[in-house]
Amino acid sequence: MNSTGTGEAILSPHLISSPAELEALSEKLRKQKDPSTKTVRVCIGPGCAAKGSLKIYDLFTTAAEESPENMKIDSKGVGCHGLCERGPIVIVEHGDVPGEIFYQQVEEPDVAEIFRETVLSGRIVERLLYEDSTTGKKIKSSKEIPFYKTQERIALAQNGLIDPTSINDYIATGGYSALAKALTTMNPEDIIEEVVKSGLRGRGGGGFPTGRKWRSCRDAKGSQKYVICNGDEGDPGAFMDRAVMEGNPHSIIEGMVIGAYAIGSSQGFIYVRNEYPLSVKRLGVAIEQAHKLGFLGKNIMGNSFSFDIRINRGGGAFVCGESTALMASLEGRVGEPRAKYVHTVEHGLHDQPTNLNNVETWATISSIINKGGEWFSSIGTEDSKGTKVFCLVGKIKNTGLVEIPMGMTLRQIIYDIGGGVKNDKAFKAVQTGGPSGGCIPAQFLDTPVGFDELTKLGSMMGSGGMIVIDEDTCVVNFAKYYINFLRQESCGKCTPCREGIPQMLYILERITHGEGEEGDLEKLETLAQLLADASLCALGKTAANPVLSTIKYFQDEYEAHIIEKRCPAKECRGLFSYEIVPDACTGCGICLKNCPVDAISGEKKEPHLIDQDICTKCGTCFEKCPFGAIVKV
Amino acid sequence: MPKVSIDGVEVIVPMESTILDAAQKAGIWIPTLCYNPAVTSTANCRLCLVELRRNGRSTLVTSCNYPVRSDIVVSVSSERAQKARRGVMELLLARAPESNELKELAKKMGIDGTPYPTVTEAQRNCILCGLCTRVCEEVIGCSAIGFAGRGTDRFVTTAFRLASEDCIACGACAVVCPVGTIQIRIHEDTGEAEISPFKSRAKLLVCEKCGKRMVTEPVAFQVNDKVKIDWEEFRQRARLCPECRRKRTAESVAIVALKKD
Repeated sequence: MNSTGTGEAILSPHLISSPAELEALSEKLRKQKDPSTKTVRVCIGPGCAAKGSLKIYDLFTTAAEESPENMKIDSKGVGCHGLCERGPIVIVEHGDVPGEIFYQQVEEPDVAEIFRETVLSGRIVERLLYEDSTTGKKIKSSKEIPFYKTQERIALAQNGLIDPTSINDYIATGGYSALAKALTTMNPEDIIEEVVKSGLRGRGGGGFPTGRKWRSCRDAKGSQKYVICNGDEGDPGAFMDRAVMEGNPHSIIEGMVIGAYAIGSSQGFIYVRNEYPLSVKRLGVAIEQAHKLGFLGKNIMGNSFSFDIRINRGGGAFVCGESTALMASLEGRVGEPRAKYVHTVEHGLHDQPTNLNNVETWATISSIINKGGEWFSSIGTEDSKGTKVFCLVGKIKNTGLVEIPMGMTLRQIIYDIGGGVKNDKAFKAVQTGGPSGGCIPAQFLDTPVGFDELTKLGSMMGSGGMIVIDEDTCVVNFAKYYINFLRQESCGKCTPCREGIPQMLYILERITHGEGEEGDLEKLETLAQLLADASLCALGKTAANPVLSTIKYFQDEYEAHIIEKRCPAKECRGLFSYEIVPDACTGCGICLKNCPVDAISGEKKEPHLIDQDICTKCGTCFEKCPFGAIVKV
Repeated sequence: MPKVSIDGVEVIVPMESTILDAAQKAGIWIPTLCYNPAVTSTANCRLCLVELRRNGRSTLVTSCNYPVRSDIVVSVSSERAQKARRGVMELLLARAPESNELKELAKKMGIDGTPYPTVTEAQRNCILCGLCTRVCEEVIGCSAIGFAGRGTDRFVTTAFRLASEDCIACGACAVVCPVGTIQIRIHEDTGEAEISPFKSRAKLLVCEKCGKRMVTEPVAFQVNDKVKIDWEEFRQRARLCPECRRKRTAESVAIVALKKD
């Protein structure tokens, strides 16, 4: 039985000082596992945990502890599986049943049944299997589920397989072997060459070639070099980095140690937003474990190379995800960006050469070292190599975390993996790249996903958020949401961002309130251009993208608001009206009773009527009507 | 040394000079607000944007802090650069509608007014350029004022918005304020100088002979500390205003001369 507490017993009593020792430990850990052991893996990632998976995990653990002595049952809490929509997810590996059994939407009362039927007896609980909505067939293994079928997992490879608080689990699945390989068979130049060859580009949003960044930092002059992991994930609807930090923290640490060795750094920092307390905790545990086995600290794996990592918690400012603001924050100053005319690889943290990469970038490194840059570059497109993790959210059937090879089309991601738009509504657009990205409409659904392809459409890859909107979402309101978000998150340092964004918001407010004027679109475009040209950092430079892209692709919707004072998606209050469909109205009188302004009249059991002159369009009747007889027109 | 071509004028400047330095050498005017050679350039007002052409691509950079490290071609008068500076100025005019200094600068740039509604938030008429805070920290060494709040709610203030004990009422912030928002007020009744709007006050030294007001006491203290003169000796000298002191010196010289005769 494996306890998943923070202080897991580490098998090796002393530091691992050579690759051979690591291999021996890995072998020992693999062999130690009895083939007859039944493993229950409960997803305790953020999505499943929100649906109560922690309790389910506890129940399984208790059940495993209380099971007969001769039964070997291993209950594990694992990181995000990806299919958050169907959480909580429980996977059972039973020696007698080939493959694994994937249970979804498991609730507390189901635990006893799964335990009795599947874990103890090797029978499948059909009821909890995934059902293919098109064929109606029950699917036993996750590999067969359309959501997982076309995914390719590198950064998330071990997510959902290993216990994130167990370094043994990580080592047993080949963890730290890339570090061993790098330290013993490669010199720093070889490592950088391999990363350059891989074509890996920064996963945080900018898409700068990682290998080139490392080389610049290695070549820069400085007495102390730093490496930083940017875990300040703040885009609305994005949780990729969180899933890695909470699901497989050792992969980040391994990547950072390799990077530090290649660059010549002895000190690293992981900057995590404090809104991710579990990430902070998991990373802390992982660092402590890595120390105990000698993957961090002095003379790593018997090499003369020393490196340590410190965790810094962010205070909640979105702008601190920007590299220079992050470094200012790390130094203890106010998290505000500075001009990057002098690059941070030359003068970064404490004015020393600093290499900053995103969580996902670091988590990809060990695979590149193990399998080679060529292997990585064989995946993806000409300019965008490898795989990318995306968060599919919004009006989509399968909300969740996916990792796909670059070059897959938006349609494949949204329809094949994501299952299409929720409630089979019409697809309107997908917002990629968070508040810095843009809205991509249906006609570009066949665009392959890549850094340059998305930029060409007026959006960007960003860190990997994908928010799907349907016909019921008003794009003007949607753009307004982002502008409002950025207004709140602007640090206020430079004029265009601080003054320009509120001016844009002011215009958008007017438009959504039906007070738009002719010339508003031009004003918005002028401000957008100014923001892009004149802002100090990327937050301001890209802030107008949601507005620009929606004007570009949905100008008619803006014009309907401005000229006709009508919201085609019927979302902007006041720009549509409520009417009662006489045939559907039963005359129950609920709407009449609830109307705060007495705008509804009608006899009992007779169709009612809304007086449009009195109606304030508050929507109470629409929400209260039990028969759906009130419609927006 | 790198060569900079600005609007067709070529100048050679030392390594790491800024574009603004080069422009000054070339005799080309670039409007600035948050720039002052006495303090670090933070490039937050964005008014000094110029167009930089490199490898067939053009970008806008702030001239006050862009370090010239190799030959570059810069355009101050290009349409793109002018448009950006105009946009920034228009936004600032909406923020500080009552500043005559700002209006004058706008006029010099050929801008009459702003199409934007005026901002009604926290610190009206302050453009948040931060020159005052930098001068206070870097030149005076007091750090009596700083930014508080974030984004659109940002404002310049003393700690806890109370009259600051760190403020020596030297008035340097008022001197550098490019929009005239910070003012030195003299309170005749109490003999104090107040730095408005920060509410910090300090007693002014008064000339014992003519009664003219001089620097504030804390400024005298600080100067005294820096020049390492005994306070009593300093007091003796600081009793009189420069004019009266000159007169006294002249008188004493004359008396000595008379006595000699």
